[in-house]
Amino acid sequence: MFRSLKSIPLVLVITFSAVASAGPLGIGSTATPEMIAGWDIDIRPDGAGLPHGEGSVAQGEGLYEAKCASCHGLFGEGEGRWPVLAGGDGTLDTLHPEKTVGSYWPYASTLWDYIHRAMPYTAPQSLTDEETYAISAYVLYLNDIVDEEFVANRETFARVKMPNEENFYVDNRPDAQNERCFKNCADPKTFEIVTTINGLTPTGHFKEDSGVAANHYEGNPSAASESGISKVMNNTKIVLSDKATVGKGVYDMACQACHNPGIAGAPKTGDKAAWVSRIDQGMDILNGHAINGYQGADGVMPAKGGNMSLSNDDVINAVAFMVESSR
Amino acid sequence: MSSIRIKAKERKGSVDVKTLMKHKMETGLRKGKDGKKIPEHWITDVTAESGGKVVFAAAFNTSISKDPYLAFKFEGKKGDTVKISWKDSKGKTDSAETKVK
Repeated sequence: MFRSLKSIPLVLVITFSAVASAGPLGIGSTATPEMIAGWDIDIRPDGAGLPHGEGSVAQGEGLYEAKCASCHGLFGEGEGRWPVLAGGDGTLDTLHPEKTVGSYWPYASTLWDYIHRAMPYTAPQSLTDEETYAISAYVLYLNDIVDEEFVANRETFARVKMPNEENFYVDNRPDAQNERCFKNCADPKTFEIVTTINGLTPTGHFKEDSGVAANHYEGNPSAASESGISKVMNNTKIVLSDKATVGKGVYDMACQACHNPGIAGAPKTGDKAAWVSRIDQGMDILNGHAINGYQGADGVMPAKGGNMSLSNDDVINAVAFMVESSR
Repeated sequence: MSSIRIKAKERKGSVDVKTLMKHKMETGLRKGKDGKKIPEHWITDVTAESGGKVVFAAAFNTSISKDPYLAFKFEGKKGDTVKISWKDSKGKTDSAETKVK
């Protein structure tokens, strides 16, 4: 199953380009080798696909602390509810299995592929091949799979054996258990709805004259965030400027994940003591740090909170909201 | 490989030490699959020394989690050594040493 899945993307690419160039409709264009190289970034369990370059555990330590530790923890123990990377050996058959790189992952190649493809969370595919080798080596070191002297490159990385590889097997169960009915089947009209899931979906606003406002329900996002914000402000009345009112929407979407609970060194919104020295720096510096990212003594502020779809004005409004709420 | 990992960084005369000790910290109250209690096995004492002087000591008990994570500060400078050692309820010990960065 696993192996056959791997080959599907390649086949698709080839047929698509052939149809596009030779087809009678004359649309599309032939994929260039550069375009295919951009898509063809998967690494196979035998190490096929690994690029040239190398990275050591020692190099990985610095990179890991700068780019990964704010969420995954200095030792891979996981900050807050972020994924744990190390430990967990011998826990998979217990009541509380810990699925980490060391305890669960079958192949080291997946580690390289995953980090290269999807990490850091705020800036995926920003790591160079060398950086990916170094960070992968360090994560393996955190799991005691390689020693301190390990240098990862095409040859050494493909030789790494993961502790739990032997316990994975091909799942050959059929996709569907039910057989399709063709003869003497039950009439759909006689089917009866036995149960539905209640309380999860707001339904009041669908009924005319129900007398209940739609935002009465918890499922309404604006009603939910309203209560969240008032908690942050310790129920003190704060009059927001127009800019900050607009910024509150941005804050709810992009900033509150870290600035509400104060994750990864982020100053909590409403925490006056944490904000006073920051506010004293002036709005230009604060806005600059929020837009371009900033490595402070306490933690990292990713550029635009990691949400690059925000405009600079969105970020400035959100900063205004946080500052005005924290005075 | 040592069961202890240490990171020590100096900032303004104060050394920030973070450490993670791999230990199962079994309380002796948990039951295994066979219904019998798993024998207790936990770290009792942790000591941190810098240049032969004890800078931090802790007495753990069964309420400390598995793979304990510990962070503390002491006055020191770059290049100092930090040695952390533990002793557990079965009398086993382990230690690791690093240099302050």
